[in-house]
Amino acid sequence: MDWFPVWLSFRVALLATLLTVSIGVPIAWLMARRSFPGRDLVSAALLTPLVLPPTVLGYYLLMVIGARGPVGRLLGKWDIELAFTWRAAVLAAAVGSFALLVKTAQSGFESIDKRLEQAAQTLGHSDWSIFWNVSIPLAWRSILAGTVLAFCKALGDFGITLMVAGDIPGRTQTLPLAIYDHVQANQLDHANLLSLVSVGIVLLLMLAFGRIVRLRY
Amino acid sequence: MLSVAARKRFGGFTLDATWTSNQPIVALVGPSGAGKTLTLQCIAGLIAPDEGRIVSAGRVLFDRAEGVNLRPQERRIGYVFQGYALFPHMTVHENIAFGLRTRRRAAGSLDRPDRTTAIIERLDLAGVTAKYPSELSGGQQQRVALARALATDPDVLLLDEPLSALDAPLRRELCGDLSRTLRDWGKIAILVTHDLSEAYQIADTVVLYEHGKTTSAVLKNDLLWHPSSERVARLIGARNILRGVIAELSDDAIVLEWRGGRLEAARSPSHQLHARAGEPLAFFVRPEYVRLIRKNRPVTDGLRQTNLFHGSIVGERDEGATWVLFFRLDRPGAPSQETFDLEIEIPKLVYERLNISADRHWDVSIHPGSIQVLPH
Repeated sequence: MDWFPVWLSFRVALLATLLTVSIGVPIAWLMARRSFPGRDLVSAALLTPLVLPPTVLGYYLLMVIGARGPVGRLLGKWDIELAFTWRAAVLAAAVGSFALLVKTAQSGFESIDKRLEQAAQTLGHSDWSIFWNVSIPLAWRSILAGTVLAFCKALGDFGITLMVAGDIPGRTQTLPLAIYDHVQANQLDHANLLSLVSVGIVLLLMLAFGRIVRLRY
Repeated sequence: MLSVAARKRFGGFTLDATWTSNQPIVALVGPSGAGKTLTLQCIAGLIAPDEGRIVSAGRVLFDRAEGVNLRPQERRIGYVFQGYALFPHMTVHENIAFGLRTRRRAAGSLDRPDRTTAIIERLDLAGVTAKYPSELSGGQQQRVALARALATDPDVLLLDEPLSALDAPLRRELCGDLSRTLRDWGKIAILVTHDLSEAYQIADTVVLYEHGKTTSAVLKNDLLWHPSSERVARLIGARNILRGVIAELSDDAIVLEWRGGRLEAARSPSHQLHARAGEPLAFFVRPEYVRLIRKNRPVTDGLRQTNLFHGSIVGERDEGATWVLFFRLDRPGAPSQETFDLEIEIPKLVYERLNISADRHWDVSIHPGSIQVLPH
């Protein structure tokens, strides 16, 4: 049996989570602590990936990164292809898991006593310094919990990945796609094994998640 | 010197705070929800007033008309938050040194380790520097909050209910400590409290808050002994606020018509009173200054004969060390305070010696100096 999908899925989920965390945590902080025009709209838009059909998300993502999309054309100038590569799978997994991380981290930031950040302000610290020295250390449990959730979601993405990365064995065939293909080809023992691997990984991560939530600072 | 003029609308609540103090320690006193904390937030720059101007030691911190609104980081204001707001993930030492860890101060001349050590010594925290806030007692947390705010050497220190999180016996003890620390420090401190006696012990001047409105800053002795109006008298909890009509007026005395009798009050030359005979006037009588005199006993000293009234005790309240008696005059007409005319406070010892629980009929004499007239 081919173990490439397992390895690919791990790599994709890891990179997608890195991308999600580095963009999502600052956005979560902004949503929790700043008011700006259109904030409610942004808040609603952030939630939609959780409920929209994956094909819709995949379609829009393809429109952006495809050869004729704005990002696709820009990268095309340097001969970088995005659509139907493993990189597209990373983006697909990131889009699918972004909302989970942002919402979890946002509630972490919101639960910090505002006076702690105000105290840091009166002590002369810049917003940047307060973010790193006060907000992040006090919200890290939520951030880590959101990261674990996002990783699990990224590991399991099917629809968006299929739309933008395709299902190319040995190139973009991730674990969930491989299971689908095995079932289609009536290789049920392979599908069974890979499904067990998926359940095992996610169960372990969820156990870790439960421990994290109970930790102190 | 600190001057505050701040107007801020919050839904149905409007803060309209205007006061100036040139004394080192100012107390903002009033019930919760009166706008005291909001004023501190305006001074610290955490909230911008809709209108107004805030000047500290000659520096304009906020001026809506001129478009000045310094960021909290630039105001040089120390803030001891209610509940202290210590960083739970930092040790005591890290909390105190946090304000000295900024880039601006790192480049400055402040010798950081020395400053931190000095303030830790001064506030007696040397034994707990490695502990986390959750491991400290309430009193220690309060001192850490104070040390953290003072470490950056601010121009003004704001303290929001610094003692209210503590138990009563500890509060009394730390009240004195806090007062000494602020005196030693020597710059301007603004203390928010709902407890007038706490304000009286710590502060020099007092600003009273009520429904978002303020009085001007008044020296604390003037506030207690010469309240400027009936409203102020009510705010400081003055009892026996009564109304009479001016019968006679001389340079050193006022004679009032009250409950069909004459009440002679001393007139303080330093306090202006623009009133004429025949006009109504509010005044109050301190309950602890009313003297009980046994009936039918020859009066020896002359003073006891002034403001002498017959009556009886119609109610009483045991307050532990003292008793409060509700006294009604033997005169026709409705009593001046619902069911009684005067509230009298006497020590428990006197209550027992005079056998007041059995003997309810007394004469009382009100010392002319204890009657405070209240200008309109």
